[in-house]
Amino acid sequence: MIDSLYSWIDDRVALSRSGRHLLDKIFPDHWSFMIGEIALYSFIVLLLTGVFLTLYFVPSSTPVVYHGIYAPLRGQTVSEAYDSTINLSFSVRGGLLMRQMHHWAANIFVGAIVVHMLRVFFTGGFRRPREANWMLGTTLLILAIFNGFLGYSLPDDLISGTGIRIAFSIMESVPFVGTYLAYFLFGGSFPGTAIIPRFFILHVLILPLLIIGLLAGHLGMLVKHKHAQFPGKGARDDNVVGSPLWPTYAAKAGGFFFLTTGVTALLGALVQINPIWQYGQYYAYKVSYAVQPDWYMGWLDGALRVMPAWEINLPGHMIPNVFFPAVLLPGLTFNLIYAWPFIEAKLSGDTAEHHLLDRPRDKPVRTALGAAVFAFYFVLFGASATDVLANYLSVTLNVVLWSFRILCIVVPIVVFPVAYKICVELRETPGAGQRKRHNIIVRSADGGYSTIAADEYPGYVKAELEPVALEEVDLVSAMSADADPGPEGVYRIPRDYS
Amino acid sequence: MAAPAGVVLLALALAAVLYAPGQSRAVAGPTAGLRSASLVDATVPNGAAALVEGRTLFDENCASCHGTQAQGSALAPNLRGLGSATVDLWVSSGWMPLANPGVQPARKPSHFTTSQTLAIAHYVGSLAPGGLPIPTVDLKGSNPAEGFSVFALNCAPCHTITGAGDALSGGIVAPPLHGVTGTQIEEAVRTGPGNMPRFSTFTVSKKQLADVVDYVTHYVEHPDSPGGGLTLGGVGPVAEGFVGLFAGVGLCVLIALWIGDRNESDGDDGGHGHGHPGDDDGPGTESPEREVAHA
Amino acid sequence: MPEVPETPGADGAVGNGAGHHPHPGAAVPLDAPQFQVAAKNPRRVEGVVAVAFVASFLALAAFGAAYWQAASSWVLGVTLGIALGAFGFALVAWGKYLMPQGPFEEPRPQMATTQAEKDEFVADFATRGKIAIERRGFLVKLMGAAGAVLGVVVAFPLIRSLGPRPNQVQSLYHTKWRKGAKLTSIEGRAVKVDDIEVGGIITVFPPDDLGGAFSQTVLIRVQQTGNIVTQPGRETWGPNGYLAFSKVCTHAGCPVGLYEELTEQLLCPCHQSLFQLSDGAMPVFGPAPRPLPQLPLYVDSKGYLRAQADYDEPIGPGFWYRGGANNEYAQ
Repeated sequence: MIDSLYSWIDDRVALSRSGRHLLDKIFPDHWSFMIGEIALYSFIVLLLTGVFLTLYFVPSSTPVVYHGIYAPLRGQTVSEAYDSTINLSFSVRGGLLMRQMHHWAANIFVGAIVVHMLRVFFTGGFRRPREANWMLGTTLLILAIFNGFLGYSLPDDLISGTGIRIAFSIMESVPFVGTYLAYFLFGGSFPGTAIIPRFFILHVLILPLLIIGLLAGHLGMLVKHKHAQFPGKGARDDNVVGSPLWPTYAAKAGGFFFLTTGVTALLGALVQINPIWQYGQYYAYKVSYAVQPDWYMGWLDGALRVMPAWEINLPGHMIPNVFFPAVLLPGLTFNLIYAWPFIEAKLSGDTAEHHLLDRPRDKPVRTALGAAVFAFYFVLFGASATDVLANYLSVTLNVVLWSFRILCIVVPIVVFPVAYKICVELRETPGAGQRKRHNIIVRSADGGYSTIAADEYPGYVKAELEPVALEEVDLVSAMSADADPGPEGVYRIPRDYS
Repeated sequence: MAAPAGVVLLALALAAVLYAPGQSRAVAGPTAGLRSASLVDATVPNGAAALVEGRTLFDENCASCHGTQAQGSALAPNLRGLGSATVDLWVSSGWMPLANPGVQPARKPSHFTTSQTLAIAHYVGSLAPGGLPIPTVDLKGSNPAEGFSVFALNCAPCHTITGAGDALSGGIVAPPLHGVTGTQIEEAVRTGPGNMPRFSTFTVSKKQLADVVDYVTHYVEHPDSPGGGLTLGGVGPVAEGFVGLFAGVGLCVLIALWIGDRNESDGDDGGHGHGHPGDDDGPGTESPEREVAHA
Repeated sequence: MPEVPETPGADGAVGNGAGHHPHPGAAVPLDAPQFQVAAKNPRRVEGVVAVAFVASFLALAAFGAAYWQAASSWVLGVTLGIALGAFGFALVAWGKYLMPQGPFEEPRPQMATTQAEKDEFVADFATRGKIAIERRGFLVKLMGAAGAVLGVVVAFPLIRSLGPRPNQVQSLYHTKWRKGAKLTSIEGRAVKVDDIEVGGIITVFPPDDLGGAFSQTVLIRVQQTGNIVTQPGRETWGPNGYLAFSKVCTHAGCPVGLYEELTEQLLCPCHQSLFQLSDGAMPVFGPAPRPLPQLPLYVDSKGYLRAQADYDEPIGPGFWYRGGANNEYAQ
């Protein structure tokens, strides 16, 4: 029956013609190439859990009186958005789990994108022909950050509402068009009633569509260029070495999807995130202390805190303080990221096509620069918790803030030469980063001592296999040949592990 | 031989768990059990005898800094006219006796029993008119929802909406609200200890204050209900970010380390190409009679 | 040997100068180690995979039961997590240990095209286009003009309809405070001069804008009696020990709710800007660039606190058209 169904479909889309070629597609196996997949799978989890949430969330600022089961809210006037989120959390079966999984998945999504971006940066995977893919990826990062901000602002709670107020001020601060931008997005002044419904449609429709579209482009380019790979084990510039898509890679990647989803489910089950019932409905005149945005906006919050109280006053006009850390800094940041492939090509003079990746230690300047810049943003991220750190470490707020002001300049300056030195040392040390083996001390007949490296474990013979060109072999017959059950079980294994 | 030892160990472990200082419990120490009953009327115990006891305790413990008539000195402020509520708050929360002059006092187990604290408070309150008496907390008909709303407007800006407390400027701290009693809440709100502002009955009415006590003692101090899992201290999303990055992404990367390969072969670094004996089991080395796989 | 369809030339084009195929015509024997499974002991791995699948199945059943019984969130999540994780683990183990271990390879063409290929394409595309518009330059210009206008006009409903122009519906420069407005709590009660104790703070609004995001004001009683003069020119603004400032932080707009009584400072919780009240809420720490505007007060004959006028400058964070502090602003 499946055969005839397949036959019916294939007669209409001619899958078989290119099918085998697709099945043979090779994916390099290095673990660091799977980080982008973490982001992809988190995105799928976001879509699935998000659909569930949209069935219950009401994107409206209309005030209603809460009559649900959570006593500290009963009888209080809240927005429908907040009311529906509370009901979703407490009165819908599985609702709290879905909400928490959705929020954890969002944190993991952006985190995985950042780690993936770091991997691509430090291995030079943005070089020709992949510059455009690098830029697509950077856009995806920006969209993911924005969508996360929009998402956690939807419940209209005290903490995220404060964030929206700050966002309004940041938009206003843009010269010439700032007030227009802010008033147009909010449909008037702050807070208005349009922002929650608009955030909602941006969050569930417009940005996800953009993300899906760009993701398709990102993955499509990956298919076209074929994944880059590390040199060694037969990998060269003109081949791809790894596992075939079917069945090996499909099994590993499919399994990885379930594993990352499982991790997200466990986090959603066991660790509380965004307990909005403790925060209460947002009111413009209420605020809480010890609040920060979600971590991927933390560097912006930290920048806002450490920025000195400077403002530019022109006759009749002003460039307000928040413009510099919240508009100029991210603008410069992302422009630098977009431009980096071209900057590096210019500085290094290397415009050749590259399909082999660098080990970070092989490009010490790039690695040190990337480490220093990342350290800068990490310090800013830490600065978003100045008050919490001051409380936790029993140090005054003033000391903490001044420390961060100094650290965000000093740390990158220190990280650069340290990272550079580490790279150079790693390159010069033979066997650096390899699994260490014991040394067996052997005494010769005339009394001299020498060492020989022991086996990793007894009987281990390191076998580096040559890659087999898949288009030349019939994997079916190769796999079936083993399928004949022998006395040891399903597979006959004639191999040499003496 | 092992069994009795095991029982003893188990008993010791249980004792350690039960009596270990915990955040979600009332102040440990001799007043622990008594404090939770402070929602009952705190009337002046035994009149004149209490004042004598109070005076004795004051002379022994407080007069060295505050002066024998509580008039203050270079070391400590004048307590006359501050009222018994102020004194009850500072002594019952353990802020007094002062552990470390020069920094804001932190909460610690009280030095005195409840009746001793009340005695001192009433004695100092009797020295001069003024100030507030020790309040009586009455939660009959209180509404935690109204308390939540008032708390969010007046208390959350310093103490945080979750009551976790936080550092203000220059070493000033808004302490966490876990473990405080209703009486202490009412005393603090009305007397405004230290840098805390003073909230009059216009700002927070008596009914609203009872609502706030209801909300804080039942909901702020027990944030785990209704749930969602392990709480991360109530200090905001930054803690969630760390968990998401290190536990979430970190765990997934560890799984990826298992699934994928690593660059472990020698000869990959810096041009030290060491060959490996016996590693070439590749195709082309077998005899031609064997079955081969052809495309 | 099973019938296998011919593979199309595995995008055989090997680009310019790339390597040739590594093993031309080499035969690969069926028992080559690349075809063998990676596991040293496949039976054991199979057992583990089987156990994982069974665990997944059981966890899924537990999830179903938990859902049916409306169990708490963590039970639902843990069962789901174990089900998914075990399933994923089994799949990965299968793929990693029970499949041909490889490695396998395929050729990778270089992306760069030859000059000849580029020329051909350009010739087709550009030249056809060129011929089409040859001697019709005027049409091209008209098309360009129409296209440009179309682009601009399309943007209008998309952007301009979003909201009113700034300053149309609500002023950027003024709040709802007026001369004589009573300072009113959120519950709607007007504040009298004896209502707040020394060291007390309360959030107040004009009576017609309770809860207003821009008119929110903090009223603080700094001392029991006497006028407080925070800046020259403000001699009457602080009667009976009261001071009133805009609650909207001049940095990024958060409500400045933390009052430190002994130091007489207001701290903003968002980015820790610190304002010294006795100096007219001058920022002394943190990123805020301008002081909080002060609301001038007076006490009427019945003892109510009232505003003398609106704030003398726009409240809150800066914006392009604001000009400097205390500027001459529009309207």
